[in-house]
Amino acid sequence: MNTHPNQSREALPPDEVMLEPAGQFAADLRNLRSAVQRAADPQTAQPVPFGWLNAAKRRHRTAQRRGVLAWSLVTVCAALLCIGTLPFLHHPAPPVTAHQVVPVQPVVIDDTALLEQVDTAVSESVPTSLAPLATLDDLSSTTSTNTESSLNAPEKKNVAQ
Amino acid sequence: MVSTELPPLARAESVLELADFDEVVRLYRPRIFRFLMASLSDRDAAESLTQDCFLKAYNARHQFRGESSLSTWLTRIALNLVRDHLRSRRMRFWQRTRDTALDIVDVGEWIPDGASSPEQVCLQQERVREIWKSVEQFSRQQRTVFLLRFVEEMELAEIAETTGMNTSTVKSHLYRALRIVRDRASGKSEGEQ
Repeated sequence: MNTHPNQSREALPPDEVMLEPAGQFAADLRNLRSAVQRAADPQTAQPVPFGWLNAAKRRHRTAQRRGVLAWSLVTVCAALLCIGTLPFLHHPAPPVTAHQVVPVQPVVIDDTALLEQVDTAVSESVPTSLAPLATLDDLSSTTSTNTESSLNAPEKKNVAQ
Repeated sequence: MVSTELPPLARAESVLELADFDEVVRLYRPRIFRFLMASLSDRDAAESLTQDCFLKAYNARHQFRGESSLSTWLTRIALNLVRDHLRSRRMRFWQRTRDTALDIVDVGEWIPDGASSPEQVCLQQERVREIWKSVEQFSRQQRTVFLLRFVEEMELAEIAETTGMNTSTVKSHLYRALRIVRDRASGKSEGEQ
């Protein structure tokens, strides 16, 4: 079959001619076939022993058992992983909550402080800077240092706050 | 060698024939073992996979409807086993699984002594060894197609049916495989000159 006579080779389509070795190459392939057959013969020439398939059945059973074991192991690992991650899924991380709560308190404190500041500012008397210019001139002519200090006092207070 | 030729089976007869499974094993075991041994280059693995092949066939005997020949069906099972075996061997790369491998020297030494002179025998052995070295370089599909064509002497259509490939794909693999063998042979002969 490997080597067709020349006539049958010519009858083949061109692409199949490429696939049909001829001459020495075909003889080499025939020798390869014979060699493989002869190499296999000692094993297969003997009659099939009784219980020949028992080994295969044993291997099949072992493979099944190993498969079941592997799947059980995988299932157990997956279950453990799920149980391990469960607390993280149900309870959000505490640091995040603390971070969200902390800024709220200063805001409340700031508001009250701000209200107090507003109250004090409203209750204060009119600052000297808002006094009529004539009065301001008088003040500047007499004790400038005292006036300056009294003028800067509320501003310093505001800066300090 | 035991002939593995069986007459074509009718659909109803196919299952009936498989009922006599011992006869199926007796007829097809040499062919399946030979193909597996050539595919794996490993006698022990071939023997184990031959057993697995017939066990699978026995367990699935009711699924065989006779749409293909028994030989094609068994070879297809063997092919699947080879694929699985090679995959698992790749996974267990730390194990030495080819201790009992049928190496190229063995193949060369199994040549029938039909040559007229010892020189011719040596020459034939050398050529067969070179072809076998090329076969070991093939991809899995090239090797399968090459062995089914030139060792099992299957027709291209039958190879296509067994492997599940297109006929054109089979031709392509075979063409490439033959080119590798020819290139190696020509390189060798050029080197000798």
